[in-house]
Amino acid sequence: MIYLDNAATSFPKPREVLDKMLRDYTEMGVSPGRGSYDLALEAEDIVRCARRKLALFFGAPDPDRIIFAANATDALNIAFNGLLRPGDHVISTRLEHNSVLRPLYHFRERGWISYDLVRFDGKGFVDPDEIGRNVKQNTRLVIVSHASNVLGTVQPVEEIGRVCAERGIPFIIDASQSAGKIPIDMAAWKVSAVAFTGHKALFGPTGIGGLAISSDLDIKPSRFGGTGVDSRSPIHTDTFPHRLEAGTINLMGIMGLSAGMDYIMQKGIEAIHGEEMTLLKRLRDGLSGLDHVETYCAGDLSNHVAVLTADIDDLNPEDAGAILDGDFNIAVRVGLHCAPLVHEDIGTIDRGAIRFSPGIFNTPEDIDRAIEAMASMS
Amino acid sequence: MMAEHEREKLLADLGRQARIVAGREIYFDWEGFFWDPNDWNEEIARILALESGLEDLTEAHWKVLRFFREYYFYHGRAPMNRHLKEGVLMSLGAIESLFPGGIRLGARRLAGLPNPRSCF
Repeated sequence: MIYLDNAATSFPKPREVLDKMLRDYTEMGVSPGRGSYDLALEAEDIVRCARRKLALFFGAPDPDRIIFAANATDALNIAFNGLLRPGDHVISTRLEHNSVLRPLYHFRERGWISYDLVRFDGKGFVDPDEIGRNVKQNTRLVIVSHASNVLGTVQPVEEIGRVCAERGIPFIIDASQSAGKIPIDMAAWKVSAVAFTGHKALFGPTGIGGLAISSDLDIKPSRFGGTGVDSRSPIHTDTFPHRLEAGTINLMGIMGLSAGMDYIMQKGIEAIHGEEMTLLKRLRDGLSGLDHVETYCAGDLSNHVAVLTADIDDLNPEDAGAILDGDFNIAVRVGLHCAPLVHEDIGTIDRGAIRFSPGIFNTPEDIDRAIEAMASMS
Repeated sequence: MMAEHEREKLLADLGRQARIVAGREIYFDWEGFFWDPNDWNEEIARILALESGLEDLTEAHWKVLRFFREYYFYHGRAPMNRHLKEGVLMSLGAIESLFPGGIRLGARRLAGLPNPRSCF
């Protein structure tokens, strides 16, 4: 099969990542940090090491402020629940995934918050000044998707970070599509928190993600329970990382995520991104030459990740996905990609569109096969 | 007795619309998919096909429609792409061309299967 759905989850995972994860879990799959026996301490070391690697990955100042969650959506919920208070105002964008849109909508429907969603331009980018223009006296948070999961465009988060810092407003980025593809520097970019998932470009398994939090961002716990520390107290610990991690963490997921980061460091994040973008450019060039095929916001790929959305005139994208799968053995993602406002703005809300997202295990021949398949359908 | 407009509102709230087809009242969703696959019969399929622009359902059409139904009632869900292809011995591209509206809005709808709950 030609797998072109890496924006949903990377597949296959590198063999060495899977082997390392299974080996570590086989040898050390005990409750980390919950016992005084050596193996529990070794398991805790693995977790601590993963926090350190993630801190390095994201330019985060304190490994203890890397907290684990089930995925980026879960991490964002932890952030929203721990930050937002009645009467707060939030600024986000129309590029967001439902992982942001739905929690914000939920809070607004209950009358707790208000929010504004900034538009993106015809090339798929948000204007940082537009963020600034939407700031109100009660703006408590700015949350922006680093890279769009529909258009692939990488947002100017450094400039947005500056706008937020000048106004003293916390700024969170959703790095679901960028972590592992683009170096992230929280400190330099004045980012208050990064929500990440492990199973996409970080090459870990599903079920692991988290939040990297800067030293000056106060996120209150919204879940309470066992942490393995201070068990006499009825009060949930205030100390990071346990403050935001209630219950036993996903050790096997963390081991896989850690092995995934090793893989990236060995191969080089720029090299991975470069390979993927070479494939994406080949795809873009091929599709651009086809009659009846439209691509979106792919004219300039200089600030992009390897995600390309396209559409064929007179062919329902859902059927196109079925034909690509059934007749050509090519896996893509069709529909609205859980980002309905992007599709509203590019004019594909009624039918959705076809998303291609190549990864490092794809070859130029895979891309040519996809272009040929699209040509035969268009 | 519920007034007609109240009944229509209730159906709309449920995401349903009622139509009389071949003398029977049948519920469809707002994309025209059968609410209950058991309401389907061949006469109704012929009428709906005509409405979609298919004057005549050929043996090839019936092969697809019957496979969809047999698979659905046996497995409790619509066939996967490869099963559909193997089951009717046609490419999905060929099925797409056979039915106005294509695979989903054409063949699947005419076969009386419910609306697929894909990520939309």
